[in-house]
Amino acid sequence: MHPVIPYVLAAMLFGAGVYGVVVRRNAVLVLMAVELMLGAVNLVLVTADATMRLHTGQTLALFVIVVAAAEVGLGLAIVLQLYRLRRSIVTDDVGAEPASAEGEEEPVKVVA
Amino acid sequence: MSLLAQGALLAADNTVPTGEAVTFWILAPIALGGAIGMVLARNAVHSALLLVCTMLSLGVFYVLQAGPFIGMVQIIVYTGAIMMLFLFVIMLVGRHTRDSLIEVLRGQRLAAVILGVGFAMLLGTGLARGVGSVTAKGLDEANANGNVEGIAKLLFTKYIFAFEVTSALLITAAIGAMLLAHIEKKPGEKLDQKVLSRNRFTKGNYPGPKSGPGVFATSDSVATPAILPDGTFTERSVSKVVPARELTLTEARPKATNGNKQDGEIR
Amino acid sequence: MNDIQLPAIDYAALLPMLIVFGAACVGILVEAFAPRGWRFVIQVSLTIGGLVAGLVAIIVNRDLEITTIGGAVTVDGPGLFLQGAIIILGIVSLGLIAERRLERGGPFVAEAAHAANSDGDKRQEREPGATEVFPLTLFAIAGMMLFCVSGDLLTMFVALEVFSLPLYLLCGLARRRRLISQEAALKYFLLGAFASAFFLYGVALLYGYAGTVSLTGIREGVLQSEQSGILLAAGLALLAIGLLFKAAAVPFHVWTPDVYQGAPTPVTALMAACTKAAAFGGLLRVFNVAFETTAWDWQPVLATVAILTMVVGSILAVAQTDIKRLLAYSSVANAGYLLVGVVSLNGAVGSSLFYLIAYGFSVLGAFAMVTLVRDSEGEATHLSRWAGLGKGSPLFSALFTFLMLGFAGIPLTSGFTSKFALFSSAWDSDQSVLVIVGVLSSVVLAFPYLKVVVLLWLNPPGEETPTVSVPSMLTRAVIFAGVAVTFVLGVAPSFLLDIVADAGPFLAK
Repeated sequence: MHPVIPYVLAAMLFGAGVYGVVVRRNAVLVLMAVELMLGAVNLVLVTADATMRLHTGQTLALFVIVVAAAEVGLGLAIVLQLYRLRRSIVTDDVGAEPASAEGEEEPVKVVA
Repeated sequence: MSLLAQGALLAADNTVPTGEAVTFWILAPIALGGAIGMVLARNAVHSALLLVCTMLSLGVFYVLQAGPFIGMVQIIVYTGAIMMLFLFVIMLVGRHTRDSLIEVLRGQRLAAVILGVGFAMLLGTGLARGVGSVTAKGLDEANANGNVEGIAKLLFTKYIFAFEVTSALLITAAIGAMLLAHIEKKPGEKLDQKVLSRNRFTKGNYPGPKSGPGVFATSDSVATPAILPDGTFTERSVSKVVPARELTLTEARPKATNGNKQDGEIR
Repeated sequence: MNDIQLPAIDYAALLPMLIVFGAACVGILVEAFAPRGWRFVIQVSLTIGGLVAGLVAIIVNRDLEITTIGGAVTVDGPGLFLQGAIIILGIVSLGLIAERRLERGGPFVAEAAHAANSDGDKRQEREPGATEVFPLTLFAIAGMMLFCVSGDLLTMFVALEVFSLPLYLLCGLARRRRLISQEAALKYFLLGAFASAFFLYGVALLYGYAGTVSLTGIREGVLQSEQSGILLAAGLALLAIGLLFKAAAVPFHVWTPDVYQGAPTPVTALMAACTKAAAFGGLLRVFNVAFETTAWDWQPVLATVAILTMVVGSILAVAQTDIKRLLAYSSVANAGYLLVGVVSLNGAVGSSLFYLIAYGFSVLGAFAMVTLVRDSEGEATHLSRWAGLGKGSPLFSALFTFLMLGFAGIPLTSGFTSKFALFSSAWDSDQSVLVIVGVLSSVVLAFPYLKVVVLLWLNPPGEETPTVSVPSMLTRAVIFAGVAVTFVLGVAPSFLLDIVADAGPFLAK
């Protein structure tokens, strides 16, 4: 395959990832956009391998995948932690913040 | 894997097989569409699934480009493990969470479009011009001794130290996740079976199952509380959402259901 | 099937890193097996012991100049010096991390899993802090050490992640103001991951260009490669973005003030001193080894970034009202001065190394003093609270004034000698514009420092002036080290200048 096509495709994927990181405000979605960027990087690495007759790119891609896995594990832990802190603060400081707009309505209490 | 490797070797031939080109031209729009859809989708779950789409197509590209091992790793680790982790977290924080469209910073979206598209165009056109003359030589020579062996040869010689150091990374991630999620129970905070059963039978607790409404009762309405063996009413037998019915004295009086006692209390 | 031959590994060259990594792993095991009451003592002694042993190994290695494991690790003069600097600054900042007298239980939260302000969080308020921070610090320091001696970009990337991940985590473990600390961790993490994606894309394009990821290979590839120069230029630019993010250069500095403010102050001190040294170690190595021959192409761009960093950092520092944010912007401006050293290439390597040591000690001392000013809410970092502290705590205010004057670059302090050495070597390398901008911006940057000094001595104390707590020996030692090194390097810098001159250039073959 002509290497220029994967190179250009990777550039577009990377650009989409950059757009996602900048525009998204949900931390999980930002992290997903970063993963898209890493996917684009791996495509460049594997494509470069095919033009070089080497395995360095694939080895580096392997490292990227492992590092991404570790990074995502830690990152999602941080995201979840912040989510828990925020939500529990909302429930603790009653009246300090408006009720969460996540559709989780308080069950209607009927006094027996 | 060997089949894939053969396919990859075939693909790496200098003459581009039609099958490869066709696969590529089918999957490339899917990958790009998935990526664009992922950054635009309002629903987080849709985003994640579209990203899975892109990652799967990328895995196939790797296999096409004589990287069968890395392609499989991409599919197994990325789509199998990492993306599932993402989905788990999205489900945990509530899949209803949508990205709001209100801009906090003015012009952020426009700036993002310019940045993202500009980046893609700049790199894309630059690389298209730059790499235009390069032809893929393919990995057939390098893959002659096997793709996995080729990677292993680098991984365990030149990059052995980096490989070892990666363990530090994984330890850090494990410690971090534990540090942020684990709450240690103090001694005495954790209740064992003995303590639990003792608590259940201490004074003031009712150890037996709750009576159902209507059992021992004067009426079969669900609003009427059950009478306990000692003659008292138990509020616990009536659902909280049902308003208690005010009973008249006659209604409340126990009826002689067994014929032996007239108006007596049940003892 | 051909046999796999392991390349020659020089374990002596790797020894400092192996010691620190080993100590970190032992620290993890201590967490698992040692009884709770003993952990703190064991961890502190293990961490300090490991770092000191690593330092001894570096000193023994001091004349080593070798490329080992098939080019993955290059141990040379500047690399060893940077490793030593990171270890020394790490030992000093450990004094802040291990401090437990200022606040009951130390500056770190006991169990981060408790939600802020929940019942569990209130119960753990006085419990001893998590001891996992010590192995995490060791991992971070070991990663920084590897980062400075990486011979190829793959090892460099792994090292970058190894030292970043523990730092992301440490940022979120503050005992007080937990929400802002968590947000700092998240912000740092997301932007850090974003930046490492740029770094990797750069590496991938450079691999596409040169066919190798080793720094010396890229240097040769520049002369020989038949690939298009666009790959080289794009790869270099993206790689630089990733590195400049860690170095906190404008326009990649946006995370710095928030993270510096939100992170626990000991971690902020560690980042300001050690991460800066590591990031500039990596920058210096990459540009001096891999891209020296293409200097004409990238020097103007990097010079622009340096100018922007100096100007924006110093101007924004003037407007700050929080001491931690002020120091954050000052660290941005200092990153600009160090970039002048990077642009000047081989001529300024020695003075950049000198600057890193001088700045590291001063900033450690300053952050150590920030931890002392407290009220019932924890550290009082807002500048208005600092007004009139000179009346009640003259010794504290005098020492802080000295450090501020050091930052401002007054003679007889290391701030003057280091800036003088850096700018004069940059002048010799024909970077006169950068030097002029640097001098002017350091004049601007002197204002916020002097503002703090005026605030301390001349302003009347406010209604609720916080107290200056009495720390344990650890923090006292940190403050002493910071002030003493700032003074000694200002008065007699020649011995350290000789050492950095002996370190010589980066090994580029």
